[in-house]
Amino acid sequence: MFEREDDVVERVIQQLRRPVTIDPGLDARVMREVADAPRAKPRVWPLWSLLATAAVLGTLLITHPWTRDDQSGPAAFQFVFVAPQAASVSLVGDFNDWDPKRSPMQTAQGVWATVVNLAPGRYRYAFLVNGVEWRADPGAPSAKDDEFGTPSSVVTVGGSGS
Amino acid sequence: MGIDKVEPSDAELVRRVRTGDIGAYGALVSRYRDRLGRYAVHMIGDHEDAEEALQDSFVRAYRSLARCYDPARFGAWLYGILVNRCRTTGARAARRRRMFVHDADALNGATHADQADRVEWTDTVDRALARLAPEYREAFLLKHVEDLEYEQIAELTGAGISALKMRVKRAREQLQKYLREAEHV
Repeated sequence: MFEREDDVVERVIQQLRRPVTIDPGLDARVMREVADAPRAKPRVWPLWSLLATAAVLGTLLITHPWTRDDQSGPAAFQFVFVAPQAASVSLVGDFNDWDPKRSPMQTAQGVWATVVNLAPGRYRYAFLVNGVEWRADPGAPSAKDDEFGTPSSVVTVGGSGS
Repeated sequence: MGIDKVEPSDAELVRRVRTGDIGAYGALVSRYRDRLGRYAVHMIGDHEDAEEALQDSFVRAYRSLARCYDPARFGAWLYGILVNRCRTTGARAARRRRMFVHDADALNGATHADQADRVEWTDTVDRALARLAPEYREAFLLKHVEDLEYEQIAELTGAGISALKMRVKRAREQLQKYLREAEHV
């Protein structure tokens, strides 16, 4: 004779809600890694090529290609984002610790732009609109490896792909 | 009456970490390790893989703390990282599931017969859970074990609420079926 479905599932739930023993050393391992690895450090790959970034929002489309002469060191790159209705836009990414205060964008008739120095490498980035709205760059490849639940894009500096 | 210890909020701890107080991150790890660990163990099935996923999630969260735009909801944000990490692990490992006793302390003091029954029941539940499709297991655990609202689960998983309700319903039906089969073995 079987229990009612709800009773059986309820027993399963009660079983699964029991505490699970986690290795007490886990906290120390986490803290060791944390101490060794500063926050949001840019990841750099030894890639060689150029990349352009464009941004599209609303009805406007602006493509802003960039070039650089020196491929061995940091170079200035301009990021452009079109958001006529926005009160503020910040560029956030691996290169600025995802801190919106470090790369606020300046606007001219709804076209927002800022310049950052990037060394060769691969960077994830996004635009933060009005301090709350997270936007990927529609003119650049999506960051497929983003696990933080918000859209972001990828730029590869000095590499052949993205 | 007396002196109550007031624990700092998540938002306060995140603020401290951002100003360079690494120790405050230890408090966050300590606060969330058991609850998140339980989810990882049930979701992944293998205890070692689950602890690795948990550790990795904590480290990733620290490295990307600037992206936690609502520090008061640090826990929900961290959950999202772990849910994704568990998916990756689940897809990579072919569910090297091991049987283990979930609550060793709770077994202390029980009679041998009770103990045997409980271990058997624990294994039965583990096996039934392991047979669920990952998306069913994920929805079932988040809804019924972690006690999250469907809106929160939708935010964490990216799935729609009606799809999640269907997954939970199917998970319940399948668990019932698998447990019945186990009774006949």
